[in-house]
Amino acid sequence: MSRSPLDAKVSSNLIFILPGLLIYGSLVFGPIIAALVLSLTSWNGISAPDWIGFGNYISLIADEVFFKSLKNNAILMIFYCAVPVCLGVALAALVWNLKQKEQLALRTLLFLPYIMPTAVLGIIWHWLYNPAFGPFNQALKLVGLGDYALPWLGDFTFVLPAVGIVASWYFFGFCMVLFLSGMQRIDPSLFEAAKVDGARGIRTFFFITLPLLLPEIRIALLLTIIASIKSFDLIFTMTRGGPANATLVPNIYMYQLGFQLNRYGYAAAVAIVGAILIFVVNYAVHRLVRPNHAGDAS
Amino acid sequence: MSQSSGLNTTAWPMRIILWLFALMTVIPFGLLILTSLKSRPDLLQGAFVLPEYPHFENYVSAWIDGHFNVYFQNSVFVVVPVVTISIALGTLTGFGFAFLSFPFKRTLFVMMTIGMMVPTEAFIIPLYYEMRYTGLINTYAALILPQIAMSIPFATIFMASAMRQLPQEILEAAVLDGARRSYILRRVILPLMVPAMSTLALFLFIWTWNEFLIPLILVNDDSFRTLPIGMLFFQGRYTVNTPVLTAGAVIVIAPLILAYLIFQRKFISGLTSGATK
Repeated sequence: MSRSPLDAKVSSNLIFILPGLLIYGSLVFGPIIAALVLSLTSWNGISAPDWIGFGNYISLIADEVFFKSLKNNAILMIFYCAVPVCLGVALAALVWNLKQKEQLALRTLLFLPYIMPTAVLGIIWHWLYNPAFGPFNQALKLVGLGDYALPWLGDFTFVLPAVGIVASWYFFGFCMVLFLSGMQRIDPSLFEAAKVDGARGIRTFFFITLPLLLPEIRIALLLTIIASIKSFDLIFTMTRGGPANATLVPNIYMYQLGFQLNRYGYAAAVAIVGAILIFVVNYAVHRLVRPNHAGDAS
Repeated sequence: MSQSSGLNTTAWPMRIILWLFALMTVIPFGLLILTSLKSRPDLLQGAFVLPEYPHFENYVSAWIDGHFNVYFQNSVFVVVPVVTISIALGTLTGFGFAFLSFPFKRTLFVMMTIGMMVPTEAFIIPLYYEMRYTGLINTYAALILPQIAMSIPFATIFMASAMRQLPQEILEAAVLDGARRSYILRRVILPLMVPAMSTLALFLFIWTWNEFLIPLILVNDDSFRTLPIGMLFFQGRYTVNTPVLTAGAVIVIAPLILAYLIFQRKFISGLTSGATK
């Protein structure tokens, strides 16, 4: 890289970067390293931590509750990733055919949940799902499905999908908007050519739109998978991981272990596994979902 | 101009499906506002029944008895310094990463991206103890400083990539004129950075306004709680008073909806292109 005309000697360059780096280092990067170290100890928060090497990680392998939280997280990924991405692609393809004004209106409405605090959305949906006076069950009763008016957040079988649907509701509009912005990038002459060749809507979708949207699909997958591993606010406000760990995810488990049971070393290990999962997913999505080169400049 | 190929024959069923999804997205918010205007007897009439007249006193109860006035004030006290200081620091560090040379530049850059990927939950325990040892638990500093630190990687990378797109000739001309670097940064670069900075401000505003874990862990005194966390504890205290709870929820999301309606295009293009980076 050529030297910028603004460059000067290192000592006077440092003034620009040090304030930011110091705050970042002391309050984010330092704690990340500290969490790594802490995960190799057993610590109750009061006495000095005991060094136990990989003891916590070995215990995790045998920890059924931890596996339950991973399994829940895997199921939640269907709702965090698969549903919003599929729905988003389908809706984007439909919205694309509409006039500009209607497109804008739909985009504005469907994007709305994405700017909201997930903690507050959790509290709102907790109320919507209320078994006695929640609007969801009242609506079911109104349309004659009163038999299906379950205590959604208290039911072992349905609580995970009930929480998951909120995540789908939160993400699908965002995915749609992301895909719409990707479709704007696609050369319109490709659609014209397909039309001339007599390709109909569905075929155009599968053979032109979908392959060319791969970069955006990759981004959407990456974001939603990471969001599912990070999930905390929504579940904390809706169920706190209950009933009986039916919605427990690693981050909630970390919170319980650390801030309720004072097992800080073990809690840190759970959190570190979550962070490692994010790095693995990031790598895997970048490797596996390669953008299609046809029609792409790169 | 419409880029679409025009409406084809399947347009109507398609549009109905689309608008049903739009309705699904909006209904929870509609119900929220409707319920916030009901009295508790109104509530027993059913969730979808309109009240006889709007009960704005729910908002007064939430604002005063529910301490939403305190929570709102705290949220503003936290958001304003976080957004301004993060942008200032992000501009300085971004300037450094875009134009200046210093040792370990690559390593420091990798450290920054690590901080963007690792979730807050992964380092909240050490952060909590750091705040305890420095006596910052239950202060505004505990809400503001970590939030700034968490914003710096994104702010830096965002500003650096915006600055790299500046035409090189402008910077060269300024240097040839013999202007000092701080002067060039303030008078030449900053005015050109206004669009990027306003997008960044929008991001930081939403993230900080919506932050949940930091105030949950680092603050346990009600007088320091911000809106999302205050709302959680309010729900715990008044679980039966649904109209006041929903009024509180409207108070939390109203500023977001307002900002969204004003800066709608910037929100959508900013959040989707920001995701692409």
